[in-house]
Amino acid sequence: MVSDFFYPNMGGVESHIYQLSQCLLERGHKVVVVTHAYGRRRGVRYLTRGLKVYHLPLRVMYNQSTATSLFHSLPLLRWVLVRERVGLVHAHSSFSSMAHDALFHAKALGLRSVFTDHSLFGFADVSSVLTNKLLAVSLCDTSHVVCVSHTSKENTVLRAALDPARVSVIPNAVDPTDFTPRAGGRPDPRTLTVVVVSRLVYRKGIDLLAGIIPELCQKYPNLHFLIGGEGPKRIVLEEVREKYQLHDRVRLLGALEHKDVRNVLVQGHIFLNTSLTEAFCMAIVEAASCGLQVVSTKVGGVPEVLPEDLIILCEPTVKFLCEGLESAIKRQQLGTLPSAEAIHNRVKSLYSWRNVAERTEKVYDRVTKEMVLPIDKRLKRLMTHCGPVAGCIFALIAVLDVLFLFFLRWLVPDDIIDIAVDATGVKGVWKQQESFSTIKKHGKTPRNNCKVQT
Amino acid sequence: MPRWRKALFGRQRFPDNHVDQTFLSDLRTNVCLRHYRYWPVVCESSVVVQQLSAVCGFGVLWRLMLGGALGAETLFAHSLAMALVVYLLHQLLGPRDRGPQGATTRWMDLKSTGIFVAFTYGFSPVLKTLTESISTDTIYAMSVFMLLGYIVCFDYGADTVMVSSCLSVNMGLFSAVCLASRLPSVFHAFTTVCVALQLFALWPVFLKKLKACYPGLHLVVTVTVFVLVTVSLLWVSLGFALSFSILVFTIVFVCPHLLLTLQRRKDNIHGPWDEAEIKDDLSQFLG
Repeated sequence: MVSDFFYPNMGGVESHIYQLSQCLLERGHKVVVVTHAYGRRRGVRYLTRGLKVYHLPLRVMYNQSTATSLFHSLPLLRWVLVRERVGLVHAHSSFSSMAHDALFHAKALGLRSVFTDHSLFGFADVSSVLTNKLLAVSLCDTSHVVCVSHTSKENTVLRAALDPARVSVIPNAVDPTDFTPRAGGRPDPRTLTVVVVSRLVYRKGIDLLAGIIPELCQKYPNLHFLIGGEGPKRIVLEEVREKYQLHDRVRLLGALEHKDVRNVLVQGHIFLNTSLTEAFCMAIVEAASCGLQVVSTKVGGVPEVLPEDLIILCEPTVKFLCEGLESAIKRQQLGTLPSAEAIHNRVKSLYSWRNVAERTEKVYDRVTKEMVLPIDKRLKRLMTHCGPVAGCIFALIAVLDVLFLFFLRWLVPDDIIDIAVDATGVKGVWKQQESFSTIKKHGKTPRNNCKVQT
Repeated sequence: MPRWRKALFGRQRFPDNHVDQTFLSDLRTNVCLRHYRYWPVVCESSVVVQQLSAVCGFGVLWRLMLGGALGAETLFAHSLAMALVVYLLHQLLGPRDRGPQGATTRWMDLKSTGIFVAFTYGFSPVLKTLTESISTDTIYAMSVFMLLGYIVCFDYGADTVMVSSCLSVNMGLFSAVCLASRLPSVFHAFTTVCVALQLFALWPVFLKKLKACYPGLHLVVTVTVFVLVTVSLLWVSLGFALSFSILVFTIVFVCPHLLLTLQRRKDNIHGPWDEAEIKDDLSQFLG
């Protein structure tokens, strides 16, 4: 698993990689995560079930994504891939330059590759045009692509000009033990609480939220808003709260740690999502798992996520969102909603990480049966698939990458690189109770100063 | 066999990479595409020609003053008379401001003009010597770049990032200050700045109003100004006159044709993945 986004950073991609890795370990696979160094967290770390994480010392450029020149990461990535005897590289997120690097190098090394796209992109603005071109280059010879929703699949197929049969849809899931309803059912229905948990940025529709709050607070004196999250749009919400004197009814909790999200969710009756674009939206699944009635904008992959009786979908305008919230309030007042426990059990049956791992495993099985493109066919595909200019440029880069790889193999042949002890997998030596010394007994130790985290 | 649903929840008897007939059914191309016609676009390009003419006209006047073919006093007198005529026309074009309010506005305009002329005249010795120590080729290079900046940043009516009326006017005036230092006297410097202000700040305001009220007349004025500038450029240099004519021809006739050709090949993709646009006016909440 390769991505710039992994723990200790928190987010949808990070949680997806971690949970998927854990379930694949459970199914007997050997899984290694490769990400960049986070502060003092460098070298090799072990997480639950012996999940090995390489924190490579690569410079972060912007928004936790590493700076890339394609070539500078090859020596490190090759070292890891050879050491761990990796057979398949699974890269995550279009925003991660390390993911694109890994895909590029994996093909040069003759490894099979899978890519999971977690986000939606437009087509018109300059940044999208450039990112889409990079994605087309990365994915034109990637064995298989996974998307988290059908809308995301359509988007990726168009962006990277892919054969849709080479793209599978496997959603995210929720850990049901992390998101359980409040003991004793929902809070007192006499004061209704609308919960919002999201980054306070434009694309999460915070401007819409700023329009909804005064409108509904004026109409329903017993309505409260509980808002968790941090971002540049916080000031907008503070202005609204100040202007309409809603300090006692609108609480801004600021940044939340992942472990605290559930405790915030269970304080409410209704969960509101005002996103302007969303590939999957984990937040609404987590909220539903906590037994909340979900009201959300009808954007991106959101309509695919929950059954109609668990979600109220609205057009992204203040008017329609207010109407949606009002119908949710009516349901609360009439008591026509199923119990929080019933909703939780339903969501638990709809989404599970074990199911995601099982389906991902099928993708891996399919990929291992396919042949990795040799360099000549790869160059031909790059030039035909990526346009006359970008195709030739990246074909040249691919050639340089292979030449650099030959040089590295001459400098440090593969058989000189010491093979790491398998912490996980068929011959894995990891035991939950045992310390790192056990691994030492079984063979060579990694050269890095490893720390165990369980 | 059950039909495939576009849903992520619940098990379906289809492989994860199944491609249904409904795949990309929500795809829309070229939504809200503007359809242009050739001659209206040609007419709209007149605003660009006006600014190019103003810049070239300013260059010609400066060159004539530098060579001594045009006296500063003569130019100042003519430009003042012209400014008065244009101001009166501007007043006639708009909604008639009769009564005390109209009189107040005119009095304010007169006061502003008086203050500006007095200050510019008072500071013209400073303006004359301000950039004197800078080498001539640097002055020319700076002036050319500033005038290019003026043309690029001018508000032609397009809603783009680079548009800035304030920056545009300042660039025009800065180029005038730069060039003023190369003229023989303090009064020459004063005249240059006054003419620059008229051409780069006041003239576009009049043209905008003229275009709004009488588009046909605006075209006539554009053609007249273009002819005058081209003829005066011939006086300075045949090469400049030819270059200017070719540039204007390209902007007026070739660029619109190019726009229409590219517009036909446009293929904008829209679908449910697009970021939703907030259509509400939220100023009432965020005031």
